[in-house]
Amino acid sequence: MNRTLNLSAGPHIRDRWTTPFIMFVVLLALLPAAVVGVVVNWIHYHSLNALWIILASIGSAMLTELLFCLATRRKITVLDGSAAVTGMLLALSLSPSTPVYLPVIGSVFAILVVKCCFGGLGKNFINPALAARCFLLISFGNAMTQFPALDGMSSATPVAELAAGRAVNITSMFFGTANGVIGGSILALLVGGLILWGLDIIHGEICFSVIAGFTLFMGLFGGQGFDPKFLLAHLCGGGVVMGAFFMATDYTTSPVSRLGQLVYGCLIGVLGAVFRIFGHSADSFSYSIIIANLATPLIDRFIIPTPYAYRKSAIRKASGEKKIPLSQRIPKPVIALTVITLLAGVALSGVFTMTEDTIEAKKLEEKRQSYKVVCPDAATFEEIEAANAAIESLGGGVYGTNFGKSFINEALAGVDDAGNVVGYVLSVTNGNGYSGDIKLSIGLKADGTVNGISFTELNETPGKGSLAAEPAFMDQFNNRTVDAFVLNKDADNSIDSITGATITSSAVVNAVNAGLDFFHSVMQGGN
Amino acid sequence: MRDTFRGGVHPRDRKELSRKAALRVYDAKGEMVYPLAQHIGKPAKAIVKKGDPVLVGQCIGAADGFVSANVICSCSGTVKAVEKRRTISGAMQECIVVENDGQYTETGTFGTREDASAITNEEILRRVADAGIIGLGGAGFPTHVKLAPKNPLGIKYLIANGAECEPYITCNDQLMRGYAKEIVEGMEIVLRLFPNAEGVIAIENNKPEAIAAMQKAVAGHNRIRVLGLRTKYPQGGERSLIRVISGIDYPITKLPADVGCIVDNVGTIYAIGRAVLYREPLFRHVMTVTGEAVREPSNFIARDGTSFQELIEAAGGVKDGVEPAKIISGGPMMGIAVSTTEVPITKTTNAITVLSSDPVQKAELKMTPCLHCGRCTTVCPNGLMPQMMADAVAAGDYERYENKLYGLDCISCGSCTYICPAKRPLTQTFKQTKAEIMARKRAAAAGGTK
Repeated sequence: MNRTLNLSAGPHIRDRWTTPFIMFVVLLALLPAAVVGVVVNWIHYHSLNALWIILASIGSAMLTELLFCLATRRKITVLDGSAAVTGMLLALSLSPSTPVYLPVIGSVFAILVVKCCFGGLGKNFINPALAARCFLLISFGNAMTQFPALDGMSSATPVAELAAGRAVNITSMFFGTANGVIGGSILALLVGGLILWGLDIIHGEICFSVIAGFTLFMGLFGGQGFDPKFLLAHLCGGGVVMGAFFMATDYTTSPVSRLGQLVYGCLIGVLGAVFRIFGHSADSFSYSIIIANLATPLIDRFIIPTPYAYRKSAIRKASGEKKIPLSQRIPKPVIALTVITLLAGVALSGVFTMTEDTIEAKKLEEKRQSYKVVCPDAATFEEIEAANAAIESLGGGVYGTNFGKSFINEALAGVDDAGNVVGYVLSVTNGNGYSGDIKLSIGLKADGTVNGISFTELNETPGKGSLAAEPAFMDQFNNRTVDAFVLNKDADNSIDSITGATITSSAVVNAVNAGLDFFHSVMQGGN
Repeated sequence: MRDTFRGGVHPRDRKELSRKAALRVYDAKGEMVYPLAQHIGKPAKAIVKKGDPVLVGQCIGAADGFVSANVICSCSGTVKAVEKRRTISGAMQECIVVENDGQYTETGTFGTREDASAITNEEILRRVADAGIIGLGGAGFPTHVKLAPKNPLGIKYLIANGAECEPYITCNDQLMRGYAKEIVEGMEIVLRLFPNAEGVIAIENNKPEAIAAMQKAVAGHNRIRVLGLRTKYPQGGERSLIRVISGIDYPITKLPADVGCIVDNVGTIYAIGRAVLYREPLFRHVMTVTGEAVREPSNFIARDGTSFQELIEAAGGVKDGVEPAKIISGGPMMGIAVSTTEVPITKTTNAITVLSSDPVQKAELKMTPCLHCGRCTTVCPNGLMPQMMADAVAAGDYERYENKLYGLDCISCGSCTYICPAKRPLTQTFKQTKAEIMARKRAAAAGGTK
């Protein structure tokens, strides 16, 4: 035979999957989100801006890579598809009302600075799309945080609403019709992400640990417990899903080992939740992924899985030793302690659940009693719509500007047996006490005359601030009709402070004044 | 019990090309070439010289030391030369060249069945050694050494490897279908050496006929069973089989016998049976000639020393209008590409695969930098981190490669290279690195003794 045969070391066959194929599948997986983004943008605003952003971003990313390869006389790598994926990811993480020049700048930054300058595909140290997004946020903050709204005014995104403690529409977030980025449809992202996971293109270890870490931390420290509505709202907003499935799973910037991926994912989830809870930026999730990207080389350096044959269980098996049962490997006291702790925990929580209602009922009763003291003519207390609305709009914030840290807790109308309004009660808390919050109830007659006050929470210094609860001080308020009280003035509306307890006195006066002001401006003004 | 190991890949097996072709005996016509180094260990010593007449079954190369094996003549004729010839590896190696007279006259010392119960254990080992039997699965470790572990009583499993996980190859499938009884006889003989062992015949599920045939042959046998395995490469690797059957993972520093297992290819077991019961030396064995470029992919019982060229022609030759791009000795995963068809098959040649196009050549065009996708780590049957190992090699950090990443435990199965979407030559890098590290160690040891 005279033919030339190819020579190479084995294996002589290769899997059909190539780098461009994987990138192509990732692009396809992002397509549903992109389509939803463009369609929603068109239906709501009759604008094709979302489409232009996507095209401009992908186009400029690919062009940048092409030009870089040409300029540096490298192999043209633009067709491996990774630049297109970067462009697509960047576009989907932008608002549909972003001016089109921004994604172009972002793509050039992502490809040129973050990717090519660090050695191209597989060498970048942070996710290029995210880096570009953060670059744009920092450099063009104003243009980046504009989100369209139906009335043409810009309005807050759901995450901003959440941060302000307001309720959001989870359904619209899920389907992508809420205010937000182009790739905001959780449903579309989940479809693409789960397909990638099913095809084994992205690692489930990463995406699910991100979501688990985020949910767990949010539930434990988010202040609202594991309320599904609250957790879902946070999961659906602010790029958690896109981050978990498409950004964090970027091969180059995530760890290779399974354990490393779990650590990395949890890090992202927890950081994301920390930033959400304690920070103010709605874009915190991008930052948490970038920080985890930076930690990846470290994780890969230290978390190296032990080959099967060198794991402890394998060594024991290979040397013929029998497996020691779990109960014998752990010292007995540890087991005993664990069992005791668990039992105690279960018992305590049982007692708590059983007594919870009683405690609540007792508190309610105490409150009622104190209302009764300051408004003795009333048989029952009824809610007032205007007052409720006003309290809700405060959102737990400080009331007014002249009353220190005063909070209005409740305002009710006292009704007698015949159904006539015989007075009003307000529950006010002041946070300027000498030792902790002072909470009191104020009883008013229908015309605003003070009927009396009664403390429901008073922890002031015994013998000094505690004297506020003595008739000598608190009865001074009774039967006086004023707009506001003052301390130690030679005037009609003056109150004599407690000797040696000016802080307490002024806190109580502020609380009463806040209640009076609320009564005059909201309850009376509304009538 | 689990029916497979962790990791592994699913290449297209292409066994449909030849799986229906029944075994055919092929007697070579031209000169026969017998390399003296067909096995692991010291090469045999030529005990014939130019001009000597030789017969089928005659020992022409004697084992040199314990870890070595006899070389057996597979034809009758005259010794033409004892000289360096090109072999499968591409290197020129010492070979005995015999001018084949085409008569195939046998020595007459074998062929009559003897009563197995009259043969002692020592006699079994001696006959296996005399027959020049080595591991026919590919590695070529002398079988009489393998069958004499330090702890024969500690052997719990005798595994007959009929997995045949390499793509394209079907000769063991055919062997098991046609010679099930003989394989079981071989098992029985080996089991006599290991009184505490259970015999397991392990076959991948893509060979239902072979499984059925073996099951029929072991029916009622209380020490041998047939085990169907999931079809996955490298299921037929020694470690994969031991992992599935005994649940044990063991490091590279240990032998299967250290963990109570002996693994032999079904072809080897068959040869042991022939050698012990009929005193028949190993001079022919089953092999497949296949590939897209071959006209009639076939399974042969071929004589050692036959040239690749003759066997390809025996399989109908290369298809008209097709240029073979690559010819592989063995299967496409672990086989060796040959530069010419004028090389002889040896005892361990279980296939000649003639490819009409070379996937490696195509893959090289699609090579990209490593993406860190982690596919290599999920397919590694030993739980190694090929991507990190490749990085360590690139950085010249052999210390990290060997001690942190356990790079010497790589079995060169090729799964990582196969799966890599960036088409990186991982296995190839590791083969070289392992050789380099071992060479350095030998050099250091030699320096230390001076």
